[in-house]
Amino acid sequence: MTPNAAPSSSGPSRRSFLASTAVATAAVAGGMPLLAACGGSDGGSRDGTTSSKDAKKILPAYVASNVVTPDIPSKNGSAVGFTSKLDLAGLKTSVPKKLGKGGKVTIMSPFWGSPPKDGNAYYTSMNDLIGVDVVWQNQDGNTYDQKLGAVLASSEVPDVVVVPGWNMTGKIPSAIIGKFADLGPYLSGDAVKEYPNLAAIPTDAWQRSIFGGKLRGLPMPSSYVTGIVPLYRQDIFEKEGYEVPRSCDEFMALAKDATNAKAKRWACLDMKWTAFNAFGVLSGNEKSLGWNEVDGKLVYRIETEEYLEALEWTRKLFAADVVHPDARLGKSNAADPGPKFAAGEFLIYNQDSSQWWSRTAEQATQNPEFKIWGMDIFGHDGGDPTLWAQNPAGIFAFVNKKASEAVIRDVLAVANVTAAPYGTKEYMATNYGVEGTHYTVKDGVPTKTDQGNIDVMNAYVMVASPAATIAHPDFPEVAKGQVEWQQRMGAFTKKPSFYGMQITEPSRYTNLSNDFEQLEDDVIRGRKKISDVQQAVSDWKSKGGDKLRDWYQKILDENGSAAG
Amino acid sequence: MSHSTVPRTDTEAEAKENPPAAHGGATGATKKPPAGKLSLRLRFRRDRVLLLMTLPAILLVLLFNYVPILGNVVAFQEYDPYISDNGVVSILRSPWVGLENFQRIFEDSAFWNSVQNTLVLFFLQLVLYFPIPILLALLINSVVRPRVRAISQAILYLPHFFSWVLVVAVFQQLLGGAGLLSQLLRQHGYDGLDIMTDPETFKFLITAQSVWKDAGWGIIVFLAALASVSPDLYEAAAMDGANRWRRMWHVTLPALRPVIALLLVLRVGDALTVGFEQILLQRGAVGPGAAEVLDTFVWWNGVRNQDFSYAAAAGLVKGVISLGLVLAANKVAHLMGEQGVYKK
Repeated sequence: MTPNAAPSSSGPSRRSFLASTAVATAAVAGGMPLLAACGGSDGGSRDGTTSSKDAKKILPAYVASNVVTPDIPSKNGSAVGFTSKLDLAGLKTSVPKKLGKGGKVTIMSPFWGSPPKDGNAYYTSMNDLIGVDVVWQNQDGNTYDQKLGAVLASSEVPDVVVVPGWNMTGKIPSAIIGKFADLGPYLSGDAVKEYPNLAAIPTDAWQRSIFGGKLRGLPMPSSYVTGIVPLYRQDIFEKEGYEVPRSCDEFMALAKDATNAKAKRWACLDMKWTAFNAFGVLSGNEKSLGWNEVDGKLVYRIETEEYLEALEWTRKLFAADVVHPDARLGKSNAADPGPKFAAGEFLIYNQDSSQWWSRTAEQATQNPEFKIWGMDIFGHDGGDPTLWAQNPAGIFAFVNKKASEAVIRDVLAVANVTAAPYGTKEYMATNYGVEGTHYTVKDGVPTKTDQGNIDVMNAYVMVASPAATIAHPDFPEVAKGQVEWQQRMGAFTKKPSFYGMQITEPSRYTNLSNDFEQLEDDVIRGRKKISDVQQAVSDWKSKGGDKLRDWYQKILDENGSAAG
Repeated sequence: MSHSTVPRTDTEAEAKENPPAAHGGATGATKKPPAGKLSLRLRFRRDRVLLLMTLPAILLVLLFNYVPILGNVVAFQEYDPYISDNGVVSILRSPWVGLENFQRIFEDSAFWNSVQNTLVLFFLQLVLYFPIPILLALLINSVVRPRVRAISQAILYLPHFFSWVLVVAVFQQLLGGAGLLSQLLRQHGYDGLDIMTDPETFKFLITAQSVWKDAGWGIIVFLAALASVSPDLYEAAAMDGANRWRRMWHVTLPALRPVIALLLVLRVGDALTVGFEQILLQRGAVGPGAAEVLDTFVWWNGVRNQDFSYAAAAGLVKGVISLGLVLAANKVAHLMGEQGVYKK
């Protein structure tokens, strides 16, 4: 065995603000300095977390900016909702002066759906508004993890890279610390006031953006309630007289009833994520969220009974042939499920709640019958579900360490526009595009055009966002549905032990649970057995899982539990 | 492989008629190569223009094939490419672990699973794929009208220029669980077939895709070899009363034999490379149990999991096995009296 972090410095860190990583000097496994802090010039600590005391020194100041008062205030961790009519003529301007200096910024970002052409009207109008020439490198969001590692290991890292928390597997956290710039000098304390929209981002989202003791990320704040909604075709449910299921058994019965392969109709796609929620499995969204203290002992999600039960139930769905054949392709299926959902080839799928609105907008003009709605997550036995909180910011944009100050300033100019709150011109431009091209206004209600549905997707919203907001002036009832769904689900949501902390595991353990996602997909498609998972779990324990548990225990002892 | 004695004499007759043109290449056993008598300096002076002309190619090979080989040292490290911006510096800073990665590989059942899949796929493709271009070449060669011939050749070549993404998508639309074939079956009261996600038949699916895409392209070399067969031989054989089949057996196939042997040896050298992109695209559809081959194993661990050292070690093991295979195949080719890829 060998030390796994930097070869130098196994003693206490030289930097005072890394005091919290005193854990880093803990000797595990035969006295080896497994948790060695990196004292190198480009480092910062590579593993551990940053205590709230240290974080205070680098967090940006918070300056609230409520342009419009929300119609539905936040409750149970939900986003704030806006449902009343938006005064489009009276939009406020939150960025009075272009902050961009006309530089060029390349941004690599995950993209779900079909990316629009470069130089489309949305991109050019946003670039004009910001004063920066943003060049997008959109990558398929479903297989983003397969590209990220290679791009970060190359010498051609784009100026900005967007990294969702669930893609921070393997050595990605180490890459984030090694390859991305410290934004502290531009944002810490009062410095952020130069970018008022960034100053209005809630502090807990910024806290999550501290990687390796430095402020590196531009966060996308989100509700801590799970984002994965079981979405269904309410119009077809009503026509056929289907009831929304309230337990796993009801779901299965409905699925069998609804499937008619001869008529090219199946009940659902892969429902694994919903199954995890229905059975109360700890979150797989981020590694640290998968741990929770139970009766004084930390357990990891894959060790739980619920995990196996959820997989078994999802396997039964596949075995019953109620799942659309495309879902059998797993990650090989790069196709956007939207068109087949609209065609009624399947009636239920689970995805991020943002699709609740985007699918509605997509189909509104050509397919007036179409109605997508989110069903409440059911407890597997018909009772209340136990849901686990996700972190209050799950997607981050990082700036290349090699970027000059001019580029960093331009990136912050981009972020300051994309983080504009609801009710501003900038929010409208970021989320709806150009009036006349991407949306038309009738009776004060914006309606997205076909081009709007093609061009205005992902991209700019991935950089930095305002405090979690749900507002769809074109479909206020969807906004209401989304917020209320979050509030109902929020009531069942619990916080696990490491909620809100940004934790970087020691590199020795980072690959331990890499292959579980693939194994899950194999099991539910009937190619592997539950006993294979049990075997993998016991391998996981012996290969380092148990030591990782001790490592997390130390962090818990030092920082206290966030559970609640 | 068995072969009769008749074609052997034909081949030798051919070989004498068409000695290889290259300098220093093999010539008849009776004549000593003249180059052997000249001193190195004289040979260098005589061939300096030729050597100069090969220089760019050699530089490219050095730069893109040999220099990267040095990177394999990470197989003996716990390599972390993210500790510095420069790959070389990262290598220098990464700790050494000796043979730990190799030890892990030999204990990893996923690795052995990928070796098994690779070999099974190789043999399957050898049997089911390799002969098809030869048959196609013979078929095309027998077409007399140039127009028909050109058109059929173009049609056969065409799929080669499609990307794998497209090929897999076409197969999915036709043979997938919600594809054309399945829906047709369902509408007529049968069960749908999901050929694309069946791990049992995946190897045949992969082979079928390869055949569809590349068999046409593979005939080019054989057609060229067939074009060099002198029509006199066919006429003489016909005069002697040989029918169509006997002419093919005694004239055409012997003419193809050296090419077939060469391609076989090359193919064996590539045995462990059985279609990376094609398989990666469909890995999720059948799971790694059926689809993981050595190349995807290396990719998954190295690029996806960023376990670069482990992947490099697996790549090295693959390289060593490949080298052994190509040497063995070459030996077999020599024993059969063919040249193989090089001559001793």
